[in-house]
Amino acid sequence: MHLHSFVLKDVFRRKTKLVVAVLGVAVAAAAIVAVVTTFSAATEGFHEASNKFGANIIVRPEVESIPLVDGYTSMGSLYAGNNYIEESDIPKIYNIKDNASLSIVAPRLYGVAELDGSSIVVMGVDPEQEKQLKPWWNIRGQWLSSEDTGPVEVLVGSDIAGPLGLGKGSMIALSKDDQSLEAKIAGVIESTGGNEDAYIIMPLAASQYLLSQEGKVSSLEVRALCNACPVEDMSQQIEGAFPGLEARAMSQIVQNEMMVVDHTKSSAMAVSIITLLVSTLTVASTMLASVNEKIKEIGIMRAIGASDMQIVSMLFLEGGIIGLVGGSIGFLVGTLASYAAAPMLVSVTPDPMWDVLIPVVAICMLTGMIASLAPARRALGIDPAEVLRSV
Amino acid sequence: MSDNYDVIQVTNVTKSYSLGSGEVEVLHGIDLTVRNGEFVSIMGPSGSGKTTLMNLIGMLDSPTRGSVRINGANISGLSQKELVKLRRKEVGFIFQQFHLIPSLTAYENVALPLVFAGEKNDGAVESAMERVGLSYRMDHKPSELSGGEQQRVAIARAVVMRPKILLADEPTGALDAATGARIISLLKSLAGEMTVIMVTHNRELAGHSDRIIELQDGDVREQGEQQIRINESKMGVIV
Repeated sequence: MHLHSFVLKDVFRRKTKLVVAVLGVAVAAAAIVAVVTTFSAATEGFHEASNKFGANIIVRPEVESIPLVDGYTSMGSLYAGNNYIEESDIPKIYNIKDNASLSIVAPRLYGVAELDGSSIVVMGVDPEQEKQLKPWWNIRGQWLSSEDTGPVEVLVGSDIAGPLGLGKGSMIALSKDDQSLEAKIAGVIESTGGNEDAYIIMPLAASQYLLSQEGKVSSLEVRALCNACPVEDMSQQIEGAFPGLEARAMSQIVQNEMMVVDHTKSSAMAVSIITLLVSTLTVASTMLASVNEKIKEIGIMRAIGASDMQIVSMLFLEGGIIGLVGGSIGFLVGTLASYAAAPMLVSVTPDPMWDVLIPVVAICMLTGMIASLAPARRALGIDPAEVLRSV
Repeated sequence: MSDNYDVIQVTNVTKSYSLGSGEVEVLHGIDLTVRNGEFVSIMGPSGSGKTTLMNLIGMLDSPTRGSVRINGANISGLSQKELVKLRRKEVGFIFQQFHLIPSLTAYENVALPLVFAGEKNDGAVESAMERVGLSYRMDHKPSELSGGEQQRVAIARAVVMRPKILLADEPTGALDAATGARIISLLKSLAGEMTVIMVTHNRELAGHSDRIIELQDGDVREQGEQQIRINESKMGVIV
């Protein structure tokens, strides 16, 4: 027989107290697991949803502005540098270290063209990438076709379509210097409140032809999955891959994302700490009651050869066993509770977080051991001589 | 070392306890020596200091003044760790209420001192159980044993480490006369191999020991060779 088998038998002898202590730990563990599982699923869901919010990195040529000043009068700025990115360079972006986090890379070409004597902004896009990047656009009509057959299809913003009486199927004639282009309106973008309300959007190749900028793009809009890596790091990596370009993280979106994540983590942590404290007190009071019940027994054990260290070890082991059992039960209950509650609370269905099983059980065992400190102190205060005088 | 030596030497021992703001002196400078292998009974009225003396000899307490030597070692000069080691090796305890661990079998209860001492059971438990005549009850829990059997298991637990001194505090106090007689007979059979010191109120049972020490108000009133011998045939069946 070993000391641990003796402790095991002793622990299971007092079933009611064991159940109370284990329940205390299990409730705490269940709360922690439920909170962590639910909020992790919610955070994951948030990241997935935020991936639909648009680009979080804008890549564009690095240009220097030189202020033009005549005496004390400002005459604007002169921009120096290449205003375009070579389209053939775009694949280089996938050479960065965190390329797996690149969700969308959408090239853009901007320029001004003439439509019925008016100047309008033309934006060339990769139809597939752009569609993923702007899922909230409501199109009256249909999205741009990726096929090259037939007339060039364009989307028009609502600020243009209304005044010019344009709608799905209308034909328009666009021109820029010596270039002209007949295009068919595939759809009208319902007002978003953004710049696109005043744009004509067409496939990249058509815009390059119209604007006489073959093989060029003005910028890249990148959607990086920020939950996998910090977006600022990715910006730096992109700048490393594209000398002469600047990659600007749209920090507001990122900061908002991080703020939500931090709030969630803080809430989960606060609940965890409170439940752990309650659990520690429950285990401590139960074990203290148990030690008070066993004063004679502990006195006798010391008389027949148990050392102080062995008495303390036995109580720590008891606390650890309570933590182990309570933590394991709590994990299962917490996972089930999260599975039941999360769809209602945060509209996600979480998966069991097996990777938190060991940490949760370890924390519960540690809690049980910490809860054993007061009972151990009490046990060491038991004077066997005094106990034997009373037996 | 010869077998005939003083295993216990209590010299001018005083023991006081704090009681409220004052102190109560339980033992008043007593002297006592016990030879190796002796069977000694300690008698006296309640509050005379019997259990206190037992606790001093059992190294569970230390004297306020004077010295207690167990097998030559002065317990006042030993650390708590050394006292635990010496107690494991030299002393076995038997209590009036047996105090077996209810969740453990008889075998496991007897093995407990070995567990605490970190020693392997090389047949010591079986041998001790056999010695008390309970080899066939090893797997029974205390609740499945009679009072006499429980006390015999407690005796097996006390002797499993083969201590030099066996301290029995009212070992028959919770037993009927016939069962008590068997226990006394068992203790008597152990004397010689080890020193047995028994606290009892029963002069008839004490009569089986080699010597009776009478304590009264913390003083040794009588310490002499046993005069009253009870015919063992009157004790009934011997274990």
